[in-house]
Amino acid sequence: MDLSYFITSLTTIQPELMVSATLLVVLVFDLIFKQKKTFIPYIALAGLVATFFFLINQFGISQTAFITSAEKQYGIFSLDPFGTFFKFIIVVSSFLVILMSISSSEIKNVNSRSGEYYTLIFGMILGMMFLASANDLILIYISLELLSLSSYVLAGFLKKERRPSEAAMKYLLFGAISSAIMLFGMSLFYGLFATTNLNVIASLGSVSGMETITLTISTIFIFAGIGYKISSVPFHFWTPDVYEGAPIPITAYLSVASKSAGFALLVRFVRVGFTNTTLENGFWILLEGFDWQLFLTIIAIATMTIGNLIALWQDNLKRMLAYSSIAHAGYLIAALVAFNNESLLAILVYFVFYLLMNFGAFYVVMVVKNKHNTEDINDYDGFGTTSPFLAVVMSFFLFSLAGVPPFAGFIGKLYIFIALVDAKLLVLAIIALLNSTVSVYYYMRVLKHMFLTKKTDNSKTVEVDLFDKVVLLALAIPTLVLGLYFSGVVNLAQNSINILGF
Amino acid sequence: MELYDIIFYFFAAMILVSGFVVVGSKNIVYSAYSLLFVLVGIAAFYILLGADFLGVVQLMVYVGGILILLLFGIMLTNKVKGVEIKSDSNFVIPSLITIAVFTAFLLFVITETNWLEITPEFVQTTVKSLGIELIQNYSLVFEILAVVLLIALIGAATLARNDNKEN
Repeated sequence: MDLSYFITSLTTIQPELMVSATLLVVLVFDLIFKQKKTFIPYIALAGLVATFFFLINQFGISQTAFITSAEKQYGIFSLDPFGTFFKFIIVVSSFLVILMSISSSEIKNVNSRSGEYYTLIFGMILGMMFLASANDLILIYISLELLSLSSYVLAGFLKKERRPSEAAMKYLLFGAISSAIMLFGMSLFYGLFATTNLNVIASLGSVSGMETITLTISTIFIFAGIGYKISSVPFHFWTPDVYEGAPIPITAYLSVASKSAGFALLVRFVRVGFTNTTLENGFWILLEGFDWQLFLTIIAIATMTIGNLIALWQDNLKRMLAYSSIAHAGYLIAALVAFNNESLLAILVYFVFYLLMNFGAFYVVMVVKNKHNTEDINDYDGFGTTSPFLAVVMSFFLFSLAGVPPFAGFIGKLYIFIALVDAKLLVLAIIALLNSTVSVYYYMRVLKHMFLTKKTDNSKTVEVDLFDKVVLLALAIPTLVLGLYFSGVVNLAQNSINILGF
Repeated sequence: MELYDIIFYFFAAMILVSGFVVVGSKNIVYSAYSLLFVLVGIAAFYILLGADFLGVVQLMVYVGGILILLLFGIMLTNKVKGVEIKSDSNFVIPSLITIAVFTAFLLFVITETNWLEITPEFVQTTVKSLGIELIQNYSLVFEILAVVLLIALIGAATLARNDNKEN
């Protein structure tokens, strides 16, 4: 790679460069203006807005960059609409997480360290954005580590309390082990294919009768790293404890952005590394050697069932939302099992809605925690009369998470079922449907506490200030409106299903 | 290569034995010292495989850096405030089963796979080619590594800093 090619390639990573620049600006600003820490989140927001414009410029472009040797057709970085779509999700959720952090009392209490806080968030953003475009095992591993390292620290950012420290410790131990397993799987891959490039792996896999067992084991090892990021069973054990211990903005961030980056990686890994042709009707032909369909079906069923069943008896709302996010990962994996363009569409559409409703639910939990320092479901008793605004927006988000029409979550689930039925995976579709019915129970349980439990003397009131009101409305209104007028989102997703190399 | 094999098996035995001591020893100081032999053995493996740069890095980073820090950590924190450091082995039988299954899997994989074979050629040094790969072909990864390092420093400083005097 000569210098001029390197410089041309740099134009494909403009948003990432913008994120890195903001990271440095935040860091240096914090060093120089020690007394003006309140400005830092606004610098971060400005940086994200700029990144957003760079992303809009890139939308629709398919281009490969950073080709490592002359024989290769594809480089280590793929700029394509699919990756850009996920980067939009990442940037929007980062914007929301910074708004949440401005309002969160947990973060205000550690204001003296806010420079580090926002720097680490930008470290996460950078890792996730590269992950969404990584086309090479080396880049995948490095960006995954960047994402993980920042999130370990953020999960334990409230280091003086017991639970956050426990969360960070668990997150670190599980993360270190799963990334070690992933790296081992990658080394086996290198032994089999003598390349780290996903496109080359696909082209080699199609010609030779590969060593099936070795390929299976190494693929499962690599999935350990991905499954850990998307918290799929059996790599989900860290999720409830970390979600409970981390500050609420970070919990919301891990459940949306980190998960979306993991899915971007999973989809690209399967699509680029293991398929090489697409039929006329949009179905992908998987390469011989590893039965992704069977493997992901088992993982999907286990993930949604375990997530939903354990969520049933959670009294801590953060824990309940943690298990619910495991279940949602299960639906998304189920969508991928169909292995066609429909399933890609379903995943993209679902993530847009999931972003809104999950952030919304966590935001309400945070507003209540700010005032009363509680996450217990019993403290939500009588909210319907004492704090109607909060209760109503929370019911929007919960109905949407449960997939009740006319809310956005329903449309997301609908597209998943369409993809599954289209691929004639009726059993999986029925299991997903049953799971989604089970999930209604625990979402409605919160509503029961808010609306049907009588107001007592112990009932708490929460006054929502203007800032929180605006953000909550900005999340709640689209949750309803996009459930009715969803064609815009679907069209956007339809234009974004192109993965480079096909 | 007769001598090569002898050296290999010598280091392999050293790694295995000291590895067992690391896991099994009740005394955490013994564990830390045996880790030294594991790490040196792995450095020797790298050099035997012709990866001289990695071998040196292994020695410098793991033996010279991390292990020394670990030993200092143990010496400074051992029995601080009357809390003894636990180094018991829990779940011996489940972990033995897991290890047995895992080893069987790996043995199968290693022996049954037709790995891509390259005839071993001992190049003078890998430093130059490694440098060219990192700075030219994988320069993007190299730059991201810089950010990873920065984030790791900031994260470590954030967690380790004493905030008590501020509040």
